[in-house]
Amino acid sequence: MWALDQPCAPRAERLLADTPLALLVVLAVGAAVAMLLVEVSMLPAHAVRVVGVTAGQGALLATALAWASVSPASSVVAIALLGLAATASAVAAPGAAAYLAPALWISWLAARGQLDSLGLGTPVSLRAVATGALAGAGLSIHLLVSASRTLGVQVRVDHASEILSAIAYDVGANVLAAECFFRGALFNRAARRWPFAIAATVATAAYVLRYLVDPLLPKSPELVAGAVFYLALLGAINCWLLAWSQSLVPGVVSATLFFAAYRTLGPR
Amino acid sequence: MTLIAAALAAITTVIALDGGGAASLFRHAYLVPVVAAALRFGAVGGGLAAAAAVLLSAPLVLPEIERSGVTTEAIEGLASFAVLGLVGVLSGVLKARAGHHRRRYEILVSIQRALSDEAALEVSLARLRAALAGRLRVDEIALIVRDDERLVIAGGERVAAGSLAARVLEGGRSAFVCDTGARGRPRRAFATPLLSGGRAVGVLAVERSGDISTGERAALETIGAHVGVALENARLVSRQRRFADELQDRVGAARRELEELDRAKSAFVAIASHELRTPLTALQGFSEILAVRRLPPEEVTRLAQVMRREARRLGRIVSDLLDLSRIERGLEPALCRIPVKIESTIEATVDLFRQGTASHPITAECESALPVVDADPDALERVLTNLVSNAIKYSPSGSTVRVGARALAGGVAIEVADAGRGIPADALSRVFEPYYRVPDAAGAAHGTGIGLAVVKALVEAHGGTVRVESAPAMGTRVTVVLPSAPRS
Repeated sequence: MWALDQPCAPRAERLLADTPLALLVVLAVGAAVAMLLVEVSMLPAHAVRVVGVTAGQGALLATALAWASVSPASSVVAIALLGLAATASAVAAPGAAAYLAPALWISWLAARGQLDSLGLGTPVSLRAVATGALAGAGLSIHLLVSASRTLGVQVRVDHASEILSAIAYDVGANVLAAECFFRGALFNRAARRWPFAIAATVATAAYVLRYLVDPLLPKSPELVAGAVFYLALLGAINCWLLAWSQSLVPGVVSATLFFAAYRTLGPR
Repeated sequence: MTLIAAALAAITTVIALDGGGAASLFRHAYLVPVVAAALRFGAVGGGLAAAAAVLLSAPLVLPEIERSGVTTEAIEGLASFAVLGLVGVLSGVLKARAGHHRRRYEILVSIQRALSDEAALEVSLARLRAALAGRLRVDEIALIVRDDERLVIAGGERVAAGSLAARVLEGGRSAFVCDTGARGRPRRAFATPLLSGGRAVGVLAVERSGDISTGERAALETIGAHVGVALENARLVSRQRRFADELQDRVGAARRELEELDRAKSAFVAIASHELRTPLTALQGFSEILAVRRLPPEEVTRLAQVMRREARRLGRIVSDLLDLSRIERGLEPALCRIPVKIESTIEATVDLFRQGTASHPITAECESALPVVDADPDALERVLTNLVSNAIKYSPSGSTVRVGARALAGGVAIEVADAGRGIPADALSRVFEPYYRVPDAAGAAHGTGIGLAVVKALVEAHGGTVRVESAPAMGTRVTVVLPSAPRS
């Protein structure tokens, strides 16, 4: 038993220890330069999205990988794959399939046992995955019903290629980076120093904040309120799924389903 | 849980079919599954059920608000949902609190049960640990108790220096560790002292993969205090019983010893009376003969020698009795010490016995130039007389009794050896006890059983030692060592 056998040394690790500041600075500077170039028309306008995705999602993913003690080279590869996928997606809708590359890269790292501390690569039960799917489906249905009744939107599948492209982005960038950082890295670290409720609150608040500052989020008050409500709920559910199952997979499933449902909504 | 979910869905369907709306009468039906969830799963269950009810009815309520604004009916409906949440959480909190109280009482009862009998501390502790492990819902639990200098541990092998348990044991304060460093789910550890009289008599340590809430830690501290008091009580009761048993054993032993002493004294009185009567009878008889008859001078001399011998015997017995009386009062025999030559004392004693008995040849072998000892001549003579007398009494007729003396560094060793039946090994350690007589010897010869006790007292009063070596059928040798007189 640890309390009897092992010396009780205070754990001095800070919450944000091992953050790859240099890499984050490079990404920030790169993004700023790219935007400046777009501003002076030296780069096409859609380059902003490419840079935004690469820098934003790349920063989250790189930080999560660094906290999991994965080599910086692996983080650079992940960022590069994100950049390539964003570029391919910007060039043509089918290019969004390239978002599978970062997902495959992360899967490969997980299979090698490098992402155990994030909850990836560890065994996961079918029951946990099913629970994640059920939670995601429930939240999705609620979103579709209530949003279509109140927010002036409705389910539209007439733009299937855009929906598929967005879902590919969610799978390979949005959901992947968010779950790896906000749950696998931040929540896991917070849970080692605080009770579940506080850790989940910290991770969920950061998660909601990330979407509130996302320039792609519509800024109408109703939509912002709805986003805060659903994202907070999704974040809390995913924290619980991770704490319960010790795997990030159920959370990824739940978030993917939710965002897939969200992508089907369009103006009336 | 499925039933609660089904009930929530059914109520929502009924509200939807009813036309929906914030103020639908059916909204009150949500109270049933919410309260049921609170009673079944506690505050979290009640809160989640209420949240689920709000979520389910939101698509019905919100469009109405969007359509007609915040009307009185909408406010009423929203207030109902607030009440629903409040009822769910409050019911759950009360239920959880009642559950905690019940569990705490169960734990206290289990503590009392585990420590109710007088089993060894290790057994009681293991039993207590098993009882607590079943009720505290933790992954691992250990109990450590100080028992004088050692630690009794249930649920572990040792307490490492610097470990959480060791720190709590030393500091006497509870300690909580959020993360033990285990892989996977964060593992918490909490240790609290087992308090008795404000002193840490042990530690209760628990570990769990998951939270150990503040409330649980407070409950564990209370349990620690209860366990400490219960353990201390059990230990006191056990100690009291042990003390009572020990006292009973000692009283029994003392009583047996007294009874034995009483028997020995009774036997001694009978023997001493007999021993005193024999020389008295001889003195009385011979003195009467001398008084009433006219006898030839040779016969008078013979009778006078017999009377002198019996008078000496009588004197010896009386001296022994006086010495024994002093010994029993814790006093040393009265001595008048002067430099004494051992050889002459031995020769005189041996001569005396040679004249008195023809049944045993007695030899005296003393080394030349023995150092002079600082002794009371009379006491020394009585020591030798007792030893030689015993040797003659307890050895067969015709066997030789050897008396010798040799020089030692700083003293003189006097040895009296016979070729008698010897003393059994189990009786050797008791031969110097007053009134004690070797069972086999009691019927073989007369004796008071105080001779060797007096010898020992006299020798030790001189600063010397006495020891007996004997083997059955091989004879007995008594060695007296007396310190030599300091040279002036």
